[in-house]
Amino acid sequence: MLKNFKTWFSDYAVVWLLPIVILFGWQFLVQFEVIPRRMLPMPTEVLETAWKLLQSGELFKHITVSAQRALTGLLIGGGIAFIVGLVNGMFSPSEKLIDSTLQMVRTVPNLALTPLVILWFGIGDTARIFLISLGVFFPIYLNTFHGVRYVDKGLIEMGRTYGLSRWGLFTQIILPGALPSILVGLRYSLGIMWLTLIVAETIAATAGIGFMTQSAREFMQIDVMFFAVILYAMLGKLADATAKTLERRLLAWHPNYQKA
Amino acid sequence: MDFIVQGTHLIAQGIKKSFATKTVLRGVDLEAERGEFIAIVGKSGCGKSTLLRLLAGLDTPDTGMVWIDGNALQGQNKVARVMFQDARLLPWKKVLYNVGLGVKDDWKPRAREALEHVGLLDRENEWPAVLSGGERQRVALARALITRPPLLLLDEPLGALDALTRIEMQQLLENLWLEHGFTALLITHDVDEAVALADRVILIEEGQIALDVPITLSRPRHRGSAEFAALKGRILNRVMGVNDDRQPSLRVLQSVV
Repeated sequence: MLKNFKTWFSDYAVVWLLPIVILFGWQFLVQFEVIPRRMLPMPTEVLETAWKLLQSGELFKHITVSAQRALTGLLIGGGIAFIVGLVNGMFSPSEKLIDSTLQMVRTVPNLALTPLVILWFGIGDTARIFLISLGVFFPIYLNTFHGVRYVDKGLIEMGRTYGLSRWGLFTQIILPGALPSILVGLRYSLGIMWLTLIVAETIAATAGIGFMTQSAREFMQIDVMFFAVILYAMLGKLADATAKTLERRLLAWHPNYQKA
Repeated sequence: MDFIVQGTHLIAQGIKKSFATKTVLRGVDLEAERGEFIAIVGKSGCGKSTLLRLLAGLDTPDTGMVWIDGNALQGQNKVARVMFQDARLLPWKKVLYNVGLGVKDDWKPRAREALEHVGLLDRENEWPAVLSGGERQRVALARALITRPPLLLLDEPLGALDALTRIEMQQLLENLWLEHGFTALLITHDVDEAVALADRVILIEEGQIALDVPITLSRPRHRGSAEFAALKGRILNRVMGVNDDRQPSLRVLQSVV
């Protein structure tokens, strides 16, 4: 019994030890005004705010708007990147034509283009989605290209001698062979997606988590601002977990994902 | 698989092949009768693998022709199946799906039948990653034989296996060959394997056929027999470039062949 508790504690509970201590310490320090309340809200306040936002339906609205922007950007940028990566990986004339240009553009951080993008697209959602698309493009492009390029040549040769058509080679050998690399690109893109979203939403948005933070700043609602940060963390974690699940399912064949 | 497949009649005529500055094959002539089992031995780099790739249609010769049942080979050799040194199973397909690769209609029962022939029916739902080296090659063999090819090209398929597994695989290969009747070309660096399996052993040296020895030992062959050892010794000596005359025992061997 005691031993069970011990293993349970050392395996699972210990992870939460430090966060809980920090949370209690934080509550204590703010409650007794060691730290001024206008700088840091109490955890209980943040929780209360979260509950209020949830009940009023405001939270749901903001999350939906933010998630929509993020996913649209991911779909457009990631989709184009995936296709260009596949084509460049399989046809070297196309690679010669396009790749070095893309490598040059890649070195520019997407957020550095924010002023230009506002000039081009105005301050609406188009600008935000453009920035996200641009940001997620490169990790997915590079990893798709790399993945296709480094599919085992022996397997492709084998597929040919075993009578696979071009389409068969693509769907049964090249795509599954490149998938581990493509998924790495996807996970990397998700990080960039959130980062770009956070910055892009602070520019003159009228809804979304970023907007919520900005308007909270104007009214000095520090609890709302804190909650927004936590929200971003949770959404980021959710996206990462989704990508991980996807990997586990799609790469079940891979020795790294097999249970011993 | 209870009917006999008609093996291919194969002729290679004046095959030459160079890569960049290196001439690999300098005029090879080879004929395989229907259902014949030929082993090709030689030191590494002698061009034996190149020859096999040309016969599979994976490469084209600079000069010379390959005839398959009287038709000139152009592009890929459609009647041939190739087994490589590494099994080249698709890691993202389960064993059964690997065996059925490229087979269109009604492939599942046929794949099961092929797996049964190599004794791995119980592993049909495994990922290739969990199989041993010998099992992988057995799956590759099932995959090669599922379409009942008239010609089987084997590029050192047993080279990476441990000695015991290799002998097991040789017996399996011989049984399937006897049963199916396909023409087989086996590249190997193992003279023992060549003598155990082949109707003829061919030695390639510096891009040319240097020796062509019919093996008339009756099957099943016993590795322990004196004839077997004598033949093996003779070929091995020739491969290693030992002069025949200085080996007194070899005169006896010549009378055997």
